Amino acid sequence: MKELAGRLTALDPDAGAAVRVIAYFDRLAESRAGLEALVRGAAVLAGVPARLVDADRRVQVRVEADGTRRENDLPPDPGWPYAALTPGGAPALWLERARAAEPSVVDAVILERAAGAVRLVLDRTRGRAPADDPALVETVLDATAPEAARLHAARRLGLDPAAPARALAPLDGRPRIAPAQGDPEPPVGRVGVGPVVPVLDLPHSWEQARVALRFSAEGTAQDPGSGVVHADELGDVALLAHLVAPGAEPPPDVRALEAAAAATPWLLTTLHAVATTVSLRAAASEINVHHSTLQERLAHAEHLLGWPLRTPQGRFRLGLALAMRHLVRSQGEQ
Amino acid sequence: MTQAPPPPFDPELAAALELIKDVISPGLTMDEIADVRQGAGIQMLAELDLTLDGFFEVEDRAVPGPEGAPEISLLICRPAVPAQGGPRPVIYHVHGGGMIIGNNRVGVDAALAWAKELDAVVVSVEYRLAPEHPHPAPVEDVYVGLEWTAKNAAELGADPQRIVVAGASAGGGLSAALALLTRDRGGPQLIGQLLMCPMLDDRNDSPSTYQMAGLGVWDRTANETGWTALLGDLRGGPDVPAYAAPARAEDLSGLPPAFLDVGSAETFRDEVVAYASRIWQAGGAAELHVWPGGFHGFDGFAPQAALSQACRAAHVEWLRRLLSR
Repeated sequence: MKELAGRLTALDPDAGAAVRVIAYFDRLAESRAGLEALVRGAAVLAGVPARLVDADRRVQVRVEADGTRRENDLPPDPGWPYAALTPGGAPALWLERARAAEPSVVDAVILERAAGAVRLVLDRTRGRAPADDPALVETVLDATAPEAARLHAARRLGLDPAAPARALAPLDGRPRIAPAQGDPEPPVGRVGVGPVVPVLDLPHSWEQARVALRFSAEGTAQDPGSGVVHADELGDVALLAHLVAPGAEPPPDVRALEAAAAATPWLLTTLHAVATTVSLRAAASEINVHHSTLQERLAHAEHLLGWPLRTPQGRFRLGLALAMRHLVRSQGEQ
Repeated sequence: MTQAPPPPFDPELAAALELIKDVISPGLTMDEIADVRQGAGIQMLAELDLTLDGFFEVEDRAVPGPEGAPEISLLICRPAVPAQGGPRPVIYHVHGGGMIIGNNRVGVDAALAWAKELDAVVVSVEYRLAPEHPHPAPVEDVYVGLEWTAKNAAELGADPQRIVVAGASAGGGLSAALALLTRDRGGPQLIGQLLMCPMLDDRNDSPSTYQMAGLGVWDRTANETGWTALLGDLRGGPDVPAYAAPARAEDLSGLPPAFLDVGSAETFRDEVVAYASRIWQAGGAAELHVWPGGFHGFDGFAPQAALSQACRAAHVEWLRRLLSR
């Protein structure tokens, strides 16, 4: 009997097609179908691949017209018909149909019904903006939580347990977890960025992100330096963090820096430029002073600090002192 | 008897039913047979590309029918490229249609897909339909088609020792009957029987036949129509031969390895599960899949659905294992 009705294939844009599209998605929604079934419905009814991308919830589903799931990383074509999940929101559901002279009414109905059903499923299964659920993030980052609890929390956050991710430690704001590739909106302000690790190692990434945060700076004259610090780029310099507790009595070279800076407004910016550029010429250009001015400033600074700044060893000592100054000044919760 | 509620349809399949409900209804009465034979489905099936983009050479061959009966037509699809490793296996396909409708194109696309994947020859047999031609006309046509295929295998580049019978619905029932017939008559040997949602039991009285009444595809009304067309007054009585309704067979030993599958939400569920169990009880080899939430023939109606993909993959994998022996 089964072949009598023919195959469930792409609908002709004839009368009644829209009605059947609506009935199809209503029925899927009624029986609480998942995202893949909804995206597959869009692909099968439209006869072209369909894809759903919700960056905030880390959802990506692409299904071809024959019903097979096949992801690809190519960006959506701006000519494809699409729908947003919320009115005025970003495009989230696409039909991969080359731009046609006339937009298809059936496509529009498919997109509208599928997007509506997708939104309900996402709200039901993943909640709104689940990446911001602090309790779940806390669990994933907690090394003392059981593995099963961390995996469960990761899934609830929309993280693929098999895909690597990293922890972010913003100075202002809650801990964040970002997939290894493409964080849609990196946090603003000062942030320590942990290394990319398997999901179960995220507590480790988090720990390193917090260390990295302590090396960050406000980027002002009093606190020159980068606001975003990657643990990966620190290397063994990160080990200094264990030697210098936040708010502790500063080591002698840091004390010397503070004393010199108190009397000399340009000092920290100038020394930061010297410590982070490849030559004195580059440092001068970085802070917009003449090379000879820089030489005069360095002579003055050497006098104040009591160690040379224009030898390799002196520059190393300076870099160390500046790094430790960040560590002393940081308000890390260590 | 109070009937428990039916198992839910798989969500994607429930939605697919929504699309086809105007074309196909769960029931079917004798009066409606003529109309259904003229339906859009048959025309669409005639438009199938049987060559699969030139992969197969396609031929309709008229061969002698059973003694005193007209010729029958075999649809023969052979891979166009010469075989690499000797003669090819044969998938001997028996179409579905409740014993009352259809032709040898119906459902053959699935068999062609397997044959392309596994480098096999497909022979799809046309058989006379009930009620004009009641039992044993359909199964005898299927039997002589197999005999011809085995005898003429060399001409088809095929191996007569490696024939698998495959069919869905009524075609599955006829395939099971063919396995019984070849066993009992010492006819051509089958190496396997692929029985997809097969129609096995004329009694139409299992719990699933009641549970699914009025639902899905091919409910108990349609089933009664099909069996009555085939058997007339014999249907459901004590004298139905096993070659008409394989569930009636008392001995299921000595059969070729079987693959059986069925949806959990269809009329045939319980008779298919019972048939598989009886094969095991008789010491035979069988693989059984019950697809949760599947309606009758779901993988044909909605091949894109996740469950259909799993179901079709199971067919190919079973054939691959069978043919690699």
